[in-house]
Amino acid sequence: MASAIEKSLAAPDAVTEAQVFWRLRRRLIGAALRSLLATSRLRAVLITLLTTFFWFGLYTLFFEGFTFLHQETQISPDLLARTIRSVFSVFFMSLTMMLTLSTGIILYGGLYRADETALLLTLPARTERVFLYKFQAAVAMSSWGFLLLASPMLVAYGVFVDAPWYYFALVGPFIVGFAFIPCSIGAIFCLLIARFLPLTRQYVVALFVLLMIGSVVWGGWSLASISQDGILSTAWLREMLARLRYSQHRMLPNWWLSAGLLEAARTHSRGPEDHPAADSIKFLCVIVANSLLLHQIAVWTAAKIFRDSYSGLMTEVSRRRRFITWPETLVFALVFFYPRQIRLLLVKDLRLFRRDPVQWSQFLIFFGLLGLYFLNIPSLRSGANQPYNGTMMISNLNLAVVGLILSTFTTRFIFPMISLEGRRFWVLGLLPVTRTRILWGKFLFAASGSTLASCSLVAASDLMLRVDLPVLVVHQVACVVLCVGLSGIAVGLGATLPNMREQSPAKIAAGFGGTLNLIVSAAFIAIVVLTTAIPTYRYASALDRAHILLEDHPEKWLFWLIASAVANVALGTAAVLLPMWAGLRAMRRMEF
Amino acid sequence: MIQYENISRNYGRKEAVKRLDLTVRPGELLAFLGPNGAGKTTTIKMTVGLLRPGTGTVRVCGIDVSSHPREAAGRLGYVPDQPYLYEKLTGREFLQFIVDMRGMDRSLAQERISQQIEAFSLDEFIDDLTERYSHGMKQRVVFASALLHSPDVLIVDEPMVGLDPKSMRMVKDLLRDQAAQGTTVLMSTHTLDVVEEIADRIGILDRGELLFLGTLKELKQRLPAEDASLERLYLDMTG
Repeated sequence: MASAIEKSLAAPDAVTEAQVFWRLRRRLIGAALRSLLATSRLRAVLITLLTTFFWFGLYTLFFEGFTFLHQETQISPDLLARTIRSVFSVFFMSLTMMLTLSTGIILYGGLYRADETALLLTLPARTERVFLYKFQAAVAMSSWGFLLLASPMLVAYGVFVDAPWYYFALVGPFIVGFAFIPCSIGAIFCLLIARFLPLTRQYVVALFVLLMIGSVVWGGWSLASISQDGILSTAWLREMLARLRYSQHRMLPNWWLSAGLLEAARTHSRGPEDHPAADSIKFLCVIVANSLLLHQIAVWTAAKIFRDSYSGLMTEVSRRRRFITWPETLVFALVFFYPRQIRLLLVKDLRLFRRDPVQWSQFLIFFGLLGLYFLNIPSLRSGANQPYNGTMMISNLNLAVVGLILSTFTTRFIFPMISLEGRRFWVLGLLPVTRTRILWGKFLFAASGSTLASCSLVAASDLMLRVDLPVLVVHQVACVVLCVGLSGIAVGLGATLPNMREQSPAKIAAGFGGTLNLIVSAAFIAIVVLTTAIPTYRYASALDRAHILLEDHPEKWLFWLIASAVANVALGTAAVLLPMWAGLRAMRRMEF
Repeated sequence: MIQYENISRNYGRKEAVKRLDLTVRPGELLAFLGPNGAGKTTTIKMTVGLLRPGTGTVRVCGIDVSSHPREAAGRLGYVPDQPYLYEKLTGREFLQFIVDMRGMDRSLAQERISQQIEAFSLDEFIDDLTERYSHGMKQRVVFASALLHSPDVLIVDEPMVGLDPKSMRMVKDLLRDQAAQGTTVLMSTHTLDVVEEIADRIGILDRGELLFLGTLKELKQRLPAEDASLERLYLDMTG
């Protein structure tokens, strides 16, 4: 037998090896899809519906945007074309930076932090094949957002200019070809940093992120400083194009992409020697050639240094960190009015949250982006002659956005909290603390943190929009109701539908319970926001009429403002008590 | 055969393995013993190509693992302390992936898979997704995958963790059988009675240094004591 095996054992050639890996990937994707359809149909339907809705929403937005530019600004066709080229270039330039960073980070996790890599490296597989297998996964994971954002914009543009058929046929190859350029650059950086700068890798990534944020702020500042008089006029657009010229350097891939696509979409000929389709394919060739070159450089780099970098990182000594404890001490003192056991649970959960970068970084990103958006609110507020109800609509939309972002956060991090206690539930279960207290402790942790962040943002938005005091108070009440209600739903449902076998919060959130939590949260947000928005909008409209006609009395709408606040408090109470009651019942029955 | 030629490996400033010179012969079962952090797993990871030695060379069947990891992996079977299986594959699909990766002839591969399923009593669960397996079931599948190609060298890191008594017996018999068939077997463990029962030679590591290398009899001669159990000897040696 041994000799037969010896005879049959021949390390597979590169093509066979690639086929083995593709077969593995097909099997894994097939099994994951079957499992999704068998156990999480609700989630699958929700993902499909939301993605379709998002795609068509973006398509409509871009189509209306192009139509608006064409019809309302009355600029020359040439300037319109240059403006769209510039918009494409900036858009794809931003996505280039984001794809580079996200591929680098995802690939780092896949290559150096995944147990699968250790298995593959101990099999007779080529080093570059292991890299390619992980790189393909990283490209797919980092590029789906790019596809979802870019495809509706490009299709909308094609429909808007009535582009020839080959434009639509070329959109796919252009996007895929282009995506490999930043993804390969990200992969090369990932390998080089892991090999040569392993100890300072976090600082290098932080520096790159800072540079990205800096360039976005600089770009935004540069555009914001254009005189706002005659906005969208020919002079204003020319000034804007001049300031965006940096994105159209001929050596940049984003320019090749936008120029190639615009050539394909061009319907008018500039002369007998002008062939837009051929010009477009020329740009596609440039993109594909560069993609292949960078891809090959990434593969060569991996073949040379991946095993060394893996070995280096695996034997890296984690620095002994000195943890600060004063935030917990401060929180412990601040919540003196809670029972001691709940304060201790709060401190424990806060410490776990602070020491888990995945949690606090997503919290910071979500609310940081909101903060940046809110900083731009002054440009949206009403001028002397603009209607107040328009401002009110923006203000209510801001409330809805805060609620929606908060719901993703509670689904991702608060809902899995009880499930994550699963394997260590005996620790809490054997302590002299009732399960009621444990659950209320989780609720208070979630509600306090989210209320602090969300109410500050909503208050900042209202103050910058200069809404008047009654509306500000109603919005604050609605925001507290949202935070408390969403926390109650997440903690209550998390205890009612726990998944004690799973250790990954992402997988717990993605299961049936997490999906249900997201749907219930979305419904709750819709009801609270509508209950707030209708009276505040009517109140603002009444103020507008009073301003113009000097006869309508907005005071009568104050009653409805108060009524909406009372209704919201009742809704919030129900949103806390009902899921928490169900959660407590489930918790009491829980065995460990 | 495994040859360690003056190998060292650091973790930062700490020397995890210090100038290890050792040869494990074909047909021999060598057991590494040592407290946590002694350098056992680091040595094993250098042998299977996951870590590179800072200095020195590791050879498997005469092949330098650092410069020819793929060729060396073709001669090796490895059972890690934390078995990794694809959660969304069945045990059979996992074994099929391993034989494909090793380039085994299709008909022979099916025969070997069937033999391993029988040898490790996997038939009850081999067609279930591995996400449903217990630790012991996973360990048995990984053992089966490591032996599919009848490796010249078998490396096993902490094989007894999480196994029930029946599975432990099976693993002990299997390791002994492999050595009897001429396979070089290197094992790292904390289970002293297993070492006492099946090891040909014992290597005691502590703080990266090989404190002792020899048979149990030689160990007993070196440290004469009234209660000359392996546990007593091991504790005396490692402090």
